[in-house]
Amino acid sequence: MTTEIGQGITVAKTGEQGAFGGELLTINFGPHHPSTHGVLRLIVDLDGEQVRRLKPVIGYLHTGIEKQAEALRWQQAVVVTDRHDYLSPPINNLAYALAVEKLLGVEVPPRANALRVIMSELTRLASHLVWLGTSGIELGASTMLMYCFRERDTILDMNEEISGYRMHTSYIRPGGVMADATPRFLEMLDKFIRTMPSNIDEYEALLTMNPIFRSRTIGIGMLPAEDAKVLGATGPMLRGSGVAWDLRKSMPYSGYENYDFEIATSDMCDCYGRYLVRIKEMREAVKILRQALDRLPDGPINVDDRKVLPPPREELETSMEAVIHHFKLFTEGYTVPPGDVYVAVESGRGENGCYVVSDGTHKPRRVKFRAASFVNLQPLERMAMNHMVADMVAIIGTADAVLGDVDR
Amino acid sequence: MIPENLAVERGVTAGDVWVTVEPANIHEALSALKDGGFRLLVFLTCVDHLADSSKEWPARYEVVYQLRDMETREQLRVRTFIDGDPPHIESAYDLFPPANWDERETYDMFGIVFDNHPDLTRILMPDDWVGHPLRRDYPVGGEVVEFSEEHERWQTAPEKA
Repeated sequence: MTTEIGQGITVAKTGEQGAFGGELLTINFGPHHPSTHGVLRLIVDLDGEQVRRLKPVIGYLHTGIEKQAEALRWQQAVVVTDRHDYLSPPINNLAYALAVEKLLGVEVPPRANALRVIMSELTRLASHLVWLGTSGIELGASTMLMYCFRERDTILDMNEEISGYRMHTSYIRPGGVMADATPRFLEMLDKFIRTMPSNIDEYEALLTMNPIFRSRTIGIGMLPAEDAKVLGATGPMLRGSGVAWDLRKSMPYSGYENYDFEIATSDMCDCYGRYLVRIKEMREAVKILRQALDRLPDGPINVDDRKVLPPPREELETSMEAVIHHFKLFTEGYTVPPGDVYVAVESGRGENGCYVVSDGTHKPRRVKFRAASFVNLQPLERMAMNHMVADMVAIIGTADAVLGDVDR
Repeated sequence: MIPENLAVERGVTAGDVWVTVEPANIHEALSALKDGGFRLLVFLTCVDHLADSSKEWPARYEVVYQLRDMETREQLRVRTFIDGDPPHIESAYDLFPPANWDERETYDMFGIVFDNHPDLTRILMPDDWVGHPLRRDYPVGGEVVEFSEEHERWQTAPEKA
């Protein structure tokens, strides 16, 4: 028998005996609950206030973007890649662009690579800032959201300056990037890099030694390194368990091997450890941004292959060949040699991969996104076991799942 | 790594190493690879080769397993081709726990039945959904959009549900 207890939460008695003399109670947590970071539904069996079983139910944000990508041409599908992990669009673009370039066998020029790194790191910062702000609110530090969204807004302003779009930028495309960095963008970036370290100090002053935050995260949601590896966790979930695995170092792409940065790890294996990892990653991201900005090479931002990218606008007025290329690209697109490739990049949440299959036509045969959040949600039961209901909020928070990424 | 008698075909596509095995041997092959160091299943999915003229395909559905050795950083893609209605294949859940949701998703989207999976139910689509959306013969826009101008159509229940 189920009973409605308000705020959309229903409970049901299981008839099973708990350790405290009472019966186990099944409650339905979410999907429309603010602390589930979207629309995640959890079916939890409670013994008193302790979690005994937990089953995530997903699919409430399924938008079928893998299906949509199959109906679009190669260059059009970039737009849907923006939208699965909606907190890190350029990193999703990057995974798709690298996969298509690998099949095409083209190599982007150094300036494009540097701009890709800059956008990836800015996105990583923005994504961690959203995580920090919302997690702060859930754990009782509401000032965090104001602070974090202040800096995130600066990043969105930079997105707007470089691509014209604040969130779903579609900035990184197969063959290069959408537009060159404007002088104003570089100025904004320089100012951002100079102010960001002191902002991170500010966040740390609010949380790192905060007794309430510490007591709500230390020892909560333990995920030992061995379990994290077996369950396939990646990103801060894995590094928070002390495993130094970061695709930017382990399997470098886009010239990450040329930057000097450290892999952030923590041996604490709990929610606090994952917090420390993300804070450290933000500091490392600023370091990478500084190096990328200082060494930003000159030169083209796109491959010089007219079969993949359209010619510059000025050329259309003087060259018949350019007009033909332009027309062909925008009416039927380009074809990609048959085959399949998998490319993985490190997003703010972990390994964000793209598996692309081509059948030699103008549209992809299959685009599969290996979503970090999808895999990182599976250890949830392991982490929440025997914890209090209230701790579940901290655990879901530090898993940092974006439900758009989980359901795709 | 993989016993020679299990590999049907080996190759490299754009730098990615792959090996094809018979569907009946998939569990044995994955188990041997896991013992050989490929401990991480990065993802598992399916490709529908319906009306794909780029090559002679042994069967309609290709099930793909991407494995990784985190020590040597080697990657390997294992593929197998299956047919049938519904197509059946052995589950890899007992070898790689992350396969649990991946297999449910592949079942949901392609209708591939993974034998010995602990809880093979739909994961992304609603439980009462008819059809498998990522199959190539499932049309884009085939379902009625709720709250759209076609409200008269969505107010009546679909015939098959």
